[in-house]
Amino acid sequence: MTDARPVSAATEEEFERLCEFLYRRTGLAFTTAKRYYVDRRMADRMAATGSRSFAAYFAALRADVGGEVEQLVNSLTVNETYFYREEHQLRCLSSSLLGPLAAGKRLGEPIRIWSMPCSTGEEPYSIAIWLLENWPEVDRHEIEILGSDIDSSALAAAAEGRYGTRALSRLPPAVVARYFECTADGEWRIVEGLRESIQLGQANLVNSEDVARHGRFDVIFCRNLLIYFDDASRRLAVENLYDALRPGGYICLGHAESMSRISALFEVCRFDDAIVYRRPGGKSHG
Amino acid sequence: MPLIRRGATPPHPQLDGPSDPLADLGAPDPDLRRRAARELGARPDSASVLGRALALEGEADVRSAIVGALVRIGGEDAVAALLPHLGSDDAARRGAVLSALQDLPETLAHLPGLLADPDPDIRVLAAEIARAMPPTAAAELLCAMILREPLPNPCAAAVDVLAEVGSPDCLPALHACEERFAAEPFLRFAIRTTIARLSAGGA
Repeated sequence: MTDARPVSAATEEEFERLCEFLYRRTGLAFTTAKRYYVDRRMADRMAATGSRSFAAYFAALRADVGGEVEQLVNSLTVNETYFYREEHQLRCLSSSLLGPLAAGKRLGEPIRIWSMPCSTGEEPYSIAIWLLENWPEVDRHEIEILGSDIDSSALAAAAEGRYGTRALSRLPPAVVARYFECTADGEWRIVEGLRESIQLGQANLVNSEDVARHGRFDVIFCRNLLIYFDDASRRLAVENLYDALRPGGYICLGHAESMSRISALFEVCRFDDAIVYRRPGGKSHG
Repeated sequence: MPLIRRGATPPHPQLDGPSDPLADLGAPDPDLRRRAARELGARPDSASVLGRALALEGEADVRSAIVGALVRIGGEDAVAALLPHLGSDDAARRGAVLSALQDLPETLAHLPGLLADPDPDIRVLAAEIARAMPPTAAAELLCAMILREPLPNPCAAAVDVLAEVGSPDCLPALHACEERFAAEPFLRFAIRTTIARLSAGGA
């Protein structure tokens, strides 16, 4: 009888040890139900790092040799980005966050939303499209959406706004028809009016001056970034995010992330559609 | 379209930096104190003044900025400024200091003293600090601790960390600890779980 597990599979105790480490380090929670999924990816990483045993691999992981934590996390998480990803947070934005925030604005004062990191633009364009389609008050307010990334080539791609069919798979056809045009080479390009309505700017989240020059925001989307920082950088990034939020402003993290595990600076707000984090001060809505 | 077009946004008002961050660290305005603390994080000679401010600071976000500044400064001076607050009665301050000490490798030199501190609460916190230290050194210190520690709670804290950082070399100390605390079911359970993990060929 053959063992169906990958050759590098951990024992039950080793698997628990790995999962506890991952949870403590990143907030990613894996149970035995995901055993095969984790085993396969760990086997790949063990092969890539030349680790001959779980013990050797776990030691390299704990010491983060060659950025191994990021490598393993990358292999365990879905890195593909697409329009309307984590749609529940967009629903939360339009149904719970923006109304009270807008009510506290002075005449002409814009609502400011920051997508960081924005990669090649799917997230900031998704926010814009979602609000145009789903927030009844959208025409009564001025809304500024900024997309930032440390990678200038990603920002250039965001400005270009060209995407494959796969990235649009979550969008209703009518939405695609309104906000995209099909190019001669079979890609989909964001219509010019929308492309011109997203601000783009380079920023490194651990650089305080870099973050401060963009001003303060009402809502920040910072999904699936903090889990990749080491402890000291994450501490600095969170302080910068706090300073970049207006009092009472909200931050949305990725579904596997928890600010409570990183910092006590923010209040946890549980809405019907999502859990988000709020900088204390201002009016309380959550 | 209600979205503000690219290039049409007015420049964002920039907050003035503190004129004298050392003085502003004691200002009545917490925003000013926070900005002063963050600015002092770029000045390596301000560890001791930040440490003194930490003792007095009651605002969570200012305290977080002070601790963050000390981590940014780093080194022995930062550790020395943080250590006196590990025994604070304020749980939030204590937690912030513990997390900062974990981020500073110089804390390792202080771990033997902390693990033998007369205050058992400090010994519990010291075990948690060890989790972030190099595993071989941390495991050695924790094994030495559980061989002499008279109370079950600090032992339990150390055993929990050994489950992550330990190796089969830790098994004798764990067995000895289990024998000493045979009347403490929760600790025996924790030790047996850790022994099972490390016996499986852990790192």
